[in-house]
Amino acid sequence: MRGVIKEFFNGLWKENPTFRIQIGLCPVLAVTTSAMNGIGMGLATTFVLTCSNILVSLLRKVIPDKVRIPCYIIVIATFSTIVDLVMNAFTPDLHRVLGIFIPLIVVNCILMGRAEAYASKMPVLHSALDGLGMGLGFTWALTLIGAIRELLGKGSIFDRAVTAEGAATFGMFSLPPGAFITLGVLLALMNMINARLRKAS
Amino acid sequence: MNESARMIVVLTVIAMVSGGLLAAVYDWTSGVIAENQLKEMESAVFAVLPGAVRIELLDRGPAELVEDDPKASKETKQAANQVFVGYNEQGAPVGYAFVGEGNGYGGIIRIMVGVSEAEGKILNLTVLSHSETPGLGSRIEDAGFRNQFVGKTLSDPIAVGRDINALSGATISSRAVTEAVRRGLEQASAVYERSR
Repeated sequence: MRGVIKEFFNGLWKENPTFRIQIGLCPVLAVTTSAMNGIGMGLATTFVLTCSNILVSLLRKVIPDKVRIPCYIIVIATFSTIVDLVMNAFTPDLHRVLGIFIPLIVVNCILMGRAEAYASKMPVLHSALDGLGMGLGFTWALTLIGAIRELLGKGSIFDRAVTAEGAATFGMFSLPPGAFITLGVLLALMNMINARLRKAS
Repeated sequence: MNESARMIVVLTVIAMVSGGLLAAVYDWTSGVIAENQLKEMESAVFAVLPGAVRIELLDRGPAELVEDDPKASKETKQAANQVFVGYNEQGAPVGYAFVGEGNGYGGIIRIMVGVSEAEGKILNLTVLSHSETPGLGSRIEDAGFRNQFVGKTLSDPIAVGRDINALSGATISSRAVTEAVRRGLEQASAVYERSR
């Protein structure tokens, strides 16, 4: 049981998809203009990742090796489309912002990566926890980047103004260059923290 | 069962199950999605027609005005058939609202404009959708810019540099909105006049 729980925490820090493995960076850079967008995209990805991991793991003995990639893509695309439709129906505001990125979950390499490298070899419970952990690791990374960019670019966090009325903001942080700068600084910080931890242990 | 037969069967079954699942989810959500879009449109109409308690869709008839406009998108061609008339509590018309569209910097900008019944003055304007640059073109949503259009009528020029000040750093977006207002007003007022 210990080992299973470890799978869950793996994605949160040690193998965080954004900060450690650095895969699936396209949505990380594109949607993180606000903290809310980060959470929305993260949770949508978490849902698709957990479901596809479970299904791929369940079917791992049924799916022939030669057609495994098309099978994974069908599974992932199905769950992405379900998320797209359900979000459009029940959270239209969020869907308007994330609209074009939701179908792109299909080609997010985190999903294919976990299906191919993990879920296709491991039992269901392990795969589910791995998907959940990776997804939540992705979510906190996106939310953090989104919050920093929203604070610097618009002077608010979660759409609530935190700076004085009319205070100067760096509009650039709402634009693509701000995404690269924020991600770069956070990656450097992550590396620094990990280097310290390694030295300490 | 040999290997290639197994491959075909597995892939087919997975694709069929997925297709069935998607059909079910689509069936469940499509009604809600259509309802959301209608509600959104209606709340925009109420926002630009102060005093209106009931709105009615005016059938524009043949949309010959927009039909030959090569720049108009599919949505406009649909929306072009729609002029909404707002009525107050006494049942008297307070004005009409229309959807205007212009080519912005990052794509098509769609706006909703309300016009008063009595003098044909613009009452209010909201931006329905746009994909302009955040921090620059996105300021077309700010009240300071939008309020410049309030009170304008068909006899005003409604042009950037004449009676509308462009947003600094966002000339294209400002022009697109102004263009959408002027063109939309010309078309919608003609339709509204004809309907009376």
